[in-house]
Amino acid sequence: MAAEILKTKAEQGFADQFTAGKSALPGAGNAWAEGLRDAAWETYASVGLPHARVEEWKYTDLRRLLSEAYPPAPALAEALNGDDVAKALGSVLAGLECHRLVIVDSQFRPELSDLGGLEGMGDIQSLGDQLSSPADWLKQTLTQITPQQNDTVIALNTALMSGGITLRIGDNVVLDKPVHIVHVVAAKEAASVTLRNVISIGAAAKVCLLESYVSLADTPLQRNAVSELIAGDGSDVQHIKFQNENMDSSHLTSWMTRLGADVTYKAFQFSIGAAVARNQIFVTFAGEGSTSHVSGAVMGRGKQHNDTTMVIDHAVPGCESREFNKLVLDGSARGVVQCKAIVRKHAQKTDGHQMAQALMLSEMAEFDSKPELEIFADDVVCGHGSTSGQVDDELMFYLRARGIPEPQARALLIAAFVGEAIEKVSSEPIREAFRSMSETWLEGEGA
Amino acid sequence: MAAVQETVEHVKEMEVDKYKYGFETDIETVKAPKGLNEDIVRFISDKKGEPEWMLQWRLDAFERWLTMTEPKWSRVHYPKIDFQDLYYYAAPKSTEGPKSLDEVDPELLETYKKLGIPLKEQEILAGVRKQGEPSELEDEIGGEYGSGKVAIDAVFDSVSVVTTFKKELAKAGVIFCSMSEAVREHPDLVKKYLSSVVPVSDNFYATLNSAVFSDGSFVYIPEGVRCPMELSTYFRINEAQTGQFERTLIIADKGSYVSYLEGCTAPMRDENQLHAAVVELVALDDAEIKYSTVQNWYPGNKDGVGGVYNFVTKRGDCRGKNSKISWTQVETGSAITWKYPSCILRGDNSIGEFYSIAISNGYQQVDSGTKMIHLGKNTSSRIISKGIAAGKSDNTYRGLVSAHRKATGARNFTACDSLLIGDQCGAHTIPYIEAKNASAQFEHEATTSKISEDQLFYCQARGMNEEEAVALIVNGFVRDVIQKLPMEFMAETQRLIGISLEGSVG
Repeated sequence: MAAEILKTKAEQGFADQFTAGKSALPGAGNAWAEGLRDAAWETYASVGLPHARVEEWKYTDLRRLLSEAYPPAPALAEALNGDDVAKALGSVLAGLECHRLVIVDSQFRPELSDLGGLEGMGDIQSLGDQLSSPADWLKQTLTQITPQQNDTVIALNTALMSGGITLRIGDNVVLDKPVHIVHVVAAKEAASVTLRNVISIGAAAKVCLLESYVSLADTPLQRNAVSELIAGDGSDVQHIKFQNENMDSSHLTSWMTRLGADVTYKAFQFSIGAAVARNQIFVTFAGEGSTSHVSGAVMGRGKQHNDTTMVIDHAVPGCESREFNKLVLDGSARGVVQCKAIVRKHAQKTDGHQMAQALMLSEMAEFDSKPELEIFADDVVCGHGSTSGQVDDELMFYLRARGIPEPQARALLIAAFVGEAIEKVSSEPIREAFRSMSETWLEGEGA
Repeated sequence: MAAVQETVEHVKEMEVDKYKYGFETDIETVKAPKGLNEDIVRFISDKKGEPEWMLQWRLDAFERWLTMTEPKWSRVHYPKIDFQDLYYYAAPKSTEGPKSLDEVDPELLETYKKLGIPLKEQEILAGVRKQGEPSELEDEIGGEYGSGKVAIDAVFDSVSVVTTFKKELAKAGVIFCSMSEAVREHPDLVKKYLSSVVPVSDNFYATLNSAVFSDGSFVYIPEGVRCPMELSTYFRINEAQTGQFERTLIIADKGSYVSYLEGCTAPMRDENQLHAAVVELVALDDAEIKYSTVQNWYPGNKDGVGGVYNFVTKRGDCRGKNSKISWTQVETGSAITWKYPSCILRGDNSIGEFYSIAISNGYQQVDSGTKMIHLGKNTSSRIISKGIAAGKSDNTYRGLVSAHRKATGARNFTACDSLLIGDQCGAHTIPYIEAKNASAQFEHEATTSKISEDQLFYCQARGMNEEEAVALIVNGFVRDVIQKLPMEFMAETQRLIGISLEGSVG
């Protein structure tokens, strides 16, 4: 009776990739790295891709959404130049003044990067190189920051990761410009890109990180990216993501963040691209007195599927968390927001609030929300809210009564709605860039 | 902090063994052999004198049940239940066809007297309607007060023992009887509506119930009738190691109205008792059903030993236009509660409501909430849930609000608040909100907190002592829901909340 569970085509594809490609993956030959991959593969293979009956993936059924596993992106035959990267990013972000790190497919490309001014502030390496001769700090960090034992997508990433970077910012370093990690896919044919970044921010450092995920061509892409971030005591970290991959892409990213004491962590994710996107954010408070604000704006149309899933773990007392997400959904786009705040037994004086709001522009749009609280301490203040609806008729009437034509009035209201989320971005140039891109998106709306 | 400290201490002191209904009545019963198989299903059906179609229906359900596995997703933990180690049928011997209450075992009547709920209702009513002295229970059930407002159906272990005020209800055309009687007397109605809301194979426990359900209440309100009195069913598990599987079916025909109350208790026992009921409500055009529950099954002792496993499927179907179903529940008992009274808002403009107070103490585990499934146009629903967790208990609200593609203009408002007393308990909120069309307008809010120092200080500054202040705040916390209870239950409930959180409310 114990029939083996049938693998989907995609699952079989990943299995073949692992078996065939294992020896060519970075770190092959290093016992620690191989052990890590094998253990992760075990975890993944015992369950397979997550599906609708896995509670955390209830609304994003990867068995159904991933019809096959694309081969890993091959090494590029031709050289890219800075213009290609700028084209993929779009003019607004390309002009951003920043320290730029460029990762093409999964490979760190120093020649396309602009690291001037970072000397002495931090250390940037390719993860692939690090895996071959791992330093102690990496061994203690990789997969250790907020382990997610049951998440098979992260396990799959660990098993198949073929690149990414390690970035270490020293203690007390204050960077004047954002560090922009550009992830661009240049593969000419359907490809998968599995990469991992490990970021460590020193004590009392002040950093703004921007991770962009963009594609150069319209070829189908499967992205599985994980960023692990550890923020030292007293640090001030802005962690921002921009995702505008092409409409044939599936985009799976997981951020795993651990905050020391008295950290200010402000994360923001702006998603407008990809056919299927799942943004996972895991934040663990490991030191008292820290604050985490995780916000996001999603704009979806056509058949886009965008799932933002957050787990905020108050493992220690006296921390504050805020989650604030806004979604604009048009066409038959589907937006999902799941946010779970856990307050552990001794995490007294926790202050946690979350809010998810969706604006539905079309009859066919769908919004699923699951704001979850799991509380084991009594001296806490926690709350959550979730709303969904369409453009308010009364507000429309108000604007139209003042002579604003309907399309403009509508655009104004939508921009104001999404603008409330974008306002959460502290870095002014990035905030303005997002605002401008949201307006461009709305123009594409024809609204 | 002092007041809270005191509250916590009181709660600790408060032993769940203070459970007031923990007596056991020693009366002769007829039991089916232990365990569950096809013969037991036949035995139950035979005992009830059921027609062949009903037996067949049960056997089908049993066959399906064999293929199902227990659900594991709820946030409760308990040792695996051995379904072969239970009695599926127990009935007080003397109740096989009593013609009047004189024939009912006096022990049984004594039990009802002890239970107090019907008695208390009558007392309150008596006070209101010039009956100076509370009278003997026998008299009440005997129907001496023709003008009384509450008709009661009492289910003892597996069997409906007595239904009062039948004649008066019959005058209005209302059918209120035990389920077994309905199967015999009103087969057409039963056939038409039974399992039309909760399908036979809906879930593990509902299917089990379909196979072995022993009794329950049946209510039919004919077109245009406003039921002249509150209907009430009183459930009690008495026998050891028995499961209670009652089945309730309420049908409100076009334009009718009914308010129905149910109360539940069980004796104190070291082993866990299983209660797996199914309740189905059907509201046709313009009809309204108000269903209130005060659930006070034995919660187990202070070490978490014993208590009732309350695994219940309750669902209402607003089948007709402009219909309305309102659930109100006060959950203070049971070792484990696992129930989600739901509304399917099928008819256009139909309304679903859910008001809940769930109090857990000791080692109780509560995983409860509701589902509001919007299918018709302009349907609206409202959820007010208040969870209070104390002791070492876990209290989870789990709910679903969904709007179908065609449910344009659907509207929901949800507020679920949790109050924690002590640092050993847990309060969790797991709502699912699914909007599949743009005009659905959903609002959800939830808060979790402890009794605020400011509120306590404010009350104390006005001359209350700490206990009075805590009592006032807790009562204020649940007020929204208490107000939704029928008058007869309000007093009962306030008292129950007092018992459940004894100490913390003075």
